[in-house]
Amino acid sequence: MPLQRLFAFSSLAFLAVLAFSPVKNALRPYRSIQHEFARIGAIHAPSMRAAEVYRERPIAIQQIWIPELQDRVDRCTTCHLGVADPVMALAPQPYREHPATYHTPRDIQRVGCTTCHGGEGLATDEGDAHGTTADAASPMLPLDYVEAGCGRCHTANEVPDAPVLSQGRAIMEKNGCYACHAARGHEDFRSDAPPLNTIAMKTGGEWVRRWLSDPKAMDPNATMPNFKLASEDIDALSHYLFARQVPRELEQAITAAAAAPAGDSAHGKTLFAEARCISCHTVEGKGNGSAPELSKIASRASRAWLIAFLHDPHAFNPQTRMPQYNFSDADVRDIVAYFEDELKDFEAPQNILEPLRVKQRLAEHGEKLFKSAGCFACHGGVKEGERFGPDLYGIGDRKATSLDFGRRTDLPHTLPAWLAAKVTAPRSFASGLKMPTFPLDATQRRAVVTALLSSAAVPVPEAYRSAPVQQASIIPAGQIGSLISRYRCLSCHQIGSKGGDISTAPLTFEGSKVNHDWIASYLTVPYSIRPILPERMPILHIPAEDATKLADAISMLYVDPAIPDDPFAGRPASDADASEGQRLYTTLGCRACHIIGSAGGYYGPPLSDTHTRLKPGWIYRYLLNPQRWRADIRCPNYGLTDTDALRLTAYLETLSAPASPAAPAALAKAKEVAR
Amino acid sequence: MRITLALLTSLFVLAACSKPARAPGAASPPRPGKYEMEIGKEVYQRYCVGCHGDSGAGDGFNSFNLDPRPRDLGDPAFQKTKSNADLADAIRRGGSGVGLTSLMPPWGHTLDDRHIAAVVLYIRSFRR
Repeated sequence: MPLQRLFAFSSLAFLAVLAFSPVKNALRPYRSIQHEFARIGAIHAPSMRAAEVYRERPIAIQQIWIPELQDRVDRCTTCHLGVADPVMALAPQPYREHPATYHTPRDIQRVGCTTCHGGEGLATDEGDAHGTTADAASPMLPLDYVEAGCGRCHTANEVPDAPVLSQGRAIMEKNGCYACHAARGHEDFRSDAPPLNTIAMKTGGEWVRRWLSDPKAMDPNATMPNFKLASEDIDALSHYLFARQVPRELEQAITAAAAAPAGDSAHGKTLFAEARCISCHTVEGKGNGSAPELSKIASRASRAWLIAFLHDPHAFNPQTRMPQYNFSDADVRDIVAYFEDELKDFEAPQNILEPLRVKQRLAEHGEKLFKSAGCFACHGGVKEGERFGPDLYGIGDRKATSLDFGRRTDLPHTLPAWLAAKVTAPRSFASGLKMPTFPLDATQRRAVVTALLSSAAVPVPEAYRSAPVQQASIIPAGQIGSLISRYRCLSCHQIGSKGGDISTAPLTFEGSKVNHDWIASYLTVPYSIRPILPERMPILHIPAEDATKLADAISMLYVDPAIPDDPFAGRPASDADASEGQRLYTTLGCRACHIIGSAGGYYGPPLSDTHTRLKPGWIYRYLLNPQRWRADIRCPNYGLTDTDALRLTAYLETLSAPASPAAPAALAKAKEVAR
Repeated sequence: MRITLALLTSLFVLAACSKPARAPGAASPPRPGKYEMEIGKEVYQRYCVGCHGDSGAGDGFNSFNLDPRPRDLGDPAFQKTKSNADLADAIRRGGSGVGLTSLMPPWGHTLDDRHIAAVVLYIRSFRR
């Protein structure tokens, strides 16, 4: 009998255990979430029938399975049921509709959720899925860094609709992070820090000391970070820099310049303004800021060095973005005289430019420091494929458990927190760390962390990668190539996918855009096409012969076959067309941005000299779709018909520059602006 | 039988205690999307700021060349009378599309609906 009882009891216990499983399932949180979703949906549904659909939804795990994307299974939609449901636009989380982005809702099934947001796709429990538990294997990206998700597929520096990511990638490029850290896609990065082989003849011991203790304090445009060097290390490094041999030709050039007669400061001032140095430099903060601040230049470099440098900057630094200005000897002396009169640090001590008397022992110690502190990574001497710091491959997928938090016990054990602290105070983790501190504000740091988090350990499959279309950059060899290099066109202009973005005008199809004779005259004496921009084409004093050669090359090489030579296709526009075009110009409101004659806005270029400057085929093609020329152009697409675009072209073609060339007037204006 | 019932009940109770169901609807209250706001600011800073100015007051550097001057977008009366759809429509079709000055261009061929919605959201933040 007792045996029977025992059997009965164990059977019941077995049944109870069996029953526990469906009970547990019935109580899983997602089920009540799905019930609530149905309730909210039924309340806000636009019709009775739609409400019924919400009510009749079966309660079940939902998933997005993408075999071709790293065999991803995302069950996030088990709770986030409303991601693609406009009825849920204002619903509380987890039901709310996903914010509108380029990829949502259209690509949810193709991309899934964890591709962008991180997290554990298979989990159906909030804590596991979001990875909020300590040392979770794959935690979600915090919303502050959510654009890092975009960067998994979009590898270009500039990612549309991802301003934070784009800013972060630009900051990393500009601050030379890749000089020390290897990163995918930046294998060829070379810092544009200057070579340091003329320091002994350029500046003084006191200036170097000040610079090394805080570069940003000496020049707000400095990209060199603060290495927080000890006073004796600064001494040693200074002695090493002053002990370095100045190359013979440069030494001769500087010595010769020291004997140059005094210059005319007033004339130098005019030349300086005309040259538009602030298109790259700044003077008291005014200007582009991609090159050094010049308001204290005469307390930074010696007169002889400045004269020799302005004569031939490329001899001093073959990588410099500074173009060769064809200044005469007297012009250079005048400009440097102006620097000495006005652009100097009036509070600096007398000895700021006094050369250091080298102590060999210190210099030897300094040379070791130059290597051990990693100065060489930016200032030359780094070998191919060799990087000073740890690589950044897949940094965005590092597990929190693999990170060394060192002394930073205050930090949450997450990758974003670790990266943010690394960027903010790199040496706070342990003593002896070498990474310098970069002068970034909170917004910039967030951007950099976003960029770092976008670096995936395993790149997404080819089909998911979105790299920008690489446009061919035609830079001919020989004479034209050396002129393009001499005048450093690529420092400001883009040609294909190469070049800087200081100028708003890419040269890729310049030959189809502007007239040959206009280019030649513009290169000889440039004027401000858009006076509101602080960056303008500098007056490089290009000789007519060079200007003609460049104009020939531009007209021949930089052409877009899609732009017709004659938009009117052999049937010239009539006067009626032109006057109809003029009417369109008024009714469309073009004058809001453009000046014709004396009236109009400052936003776009003045159009009074259209016929002289622009080719009709280009105008016509531009009017049909301005963004085709440059994706970020601000001129709106008016959705013009072909006929209207032709009429407007016909009108604009009637506008010619006055008989006297615009150049002298512009030059006079430049001088006036300079004052 | 009574034992069984008691056992099962206690199991139910235990299970219910171990996994408390999430209080439905208790999640964070709705707020304007931060991401849309950032995109809206981005679009505004690129295309609108030249005339409408940083704070939407109609004092951008180019506004001084325009007659009529650009609208003060922060004006509470303006913000109140215009619906999001009105604002989007004026952006899409431009001034001449909605019976105002043609100096405000139409952006419907340049910006897509999502960008226009985002910039409308951003314009709402100018309300004084």
